Amino acid sequence: MHERAEAATAVAVRLLTATASGDGATACATLAPDTLAKVAADQPCTEAILDADLPRPGAVVRTAVYGQWAQVKLTDDTIFLAVFPGGWRVVAAGCTPRGERPYDCTMTGG
Amino acid sequence: MRRFLRENSIGLVFGVLFLIVLVGQAFAGLAQFNQDQLAAGLPRISLGRYLTSASFGADVAENWQSEYLQFFLFIYLTVWLLQKGSPESKSLDQAGEESDEDQKVGRYAQPNSPKWAKVGGLRRKLFSNSLGLVMGAIFVGSWAAQSIAGAAAFNEEQLGRQQDPVSWARYLTEADFWNRTLQNWQSELLAVASMAILSIFLRQRGSPQSKPVGAPHDATGVEG
Repeated sequence: MHERAEAATAVAVRLLTATASGDGATACATLAPDTLAKVAADQPCTEAILDADLPRPGAVVRTAVYGQWAQVKLTDDTIFLAVFPGGWRVVAAGCTPRGERPYDCTMTGG
Repeated sequence: MRRFLRENSIGLVFGVLFLIVLVGQAFAGLAQFNQDQLAAGLPRISLGRYLTSASFGADVAENWQSEYLQFFLFIYLTVWLLQKGSPESKSLDQAGEESDEDQKVGRYAQPNSPKWAKVGGLRRKLFSNSLGLVMGAIFVGSWAAQSIAGAAAFNEEQLGRQQDPVSWARYLTEADFWNRTLQNWQSELLAVASMAILSIFLRQRGSPQSKPVGAPHDATGVEG
């Protein structure tokens, strides 16, 4: 796998592994600023992200990287990431496909 | 030095203008790209990163391919196609590849003719079509580059919209590819048609692209 794809995949897996093990701080550290702000709108991110019901980390099916964006497909989740000064950050997670329409994501910054 | 500059001023001036405008395009494109980044809550990217991006590559290649297509078609089709009264057309009785004598090849070659015009066979055939072949090859190459860079740029936008990326083969059937391609082709074809027709009736004194100012409207194949 390409170096950038490996890095994006590692961040996506870190998010799901952290939420599955109850490590809110590590999970929140993977989020992009807008996504972090939205998750932490009503309660601290470290608590809110554990209530988001993200799937457990399954096997990585495919990672696509184009320019500033990446998509990591796992067996039970699809995660979209973008490049930030500190590396890849999660913009949207808990995403399910809707055909030709954008994925429906439980956690997003938009 | 002055003489060299004067005798090569078309190539030099257009070459320098090309570089200046390409730099301008790079900065304008970077500004637009970063506007989109900020709107999506993402950080700005550097000029270096933008210059190696698929977005910049596709924007450059899509214009290159259409320009080289225009020149390829113009060079190749005007072997046979005519336009009465236009300086862009040959005389009405010269349609076709013309005789070896007219083209100064083979035994009609002159002492200072290019070597491959004097010889026969494949080398003469290739040299006789080299301008069209090279223009056509650059068109095909830059159109292929547009398709590859365009697919990557399209997929970057797809991911930004939280949609799936597509394969290169699938991209060739996407509206984005054909919209980028056809919007350039139509303008190039319009430019050729209008140049061929307007130059029948209009003049630009001193320009080799125009007939002499006093030449009659129906004089064909005359350049000023």
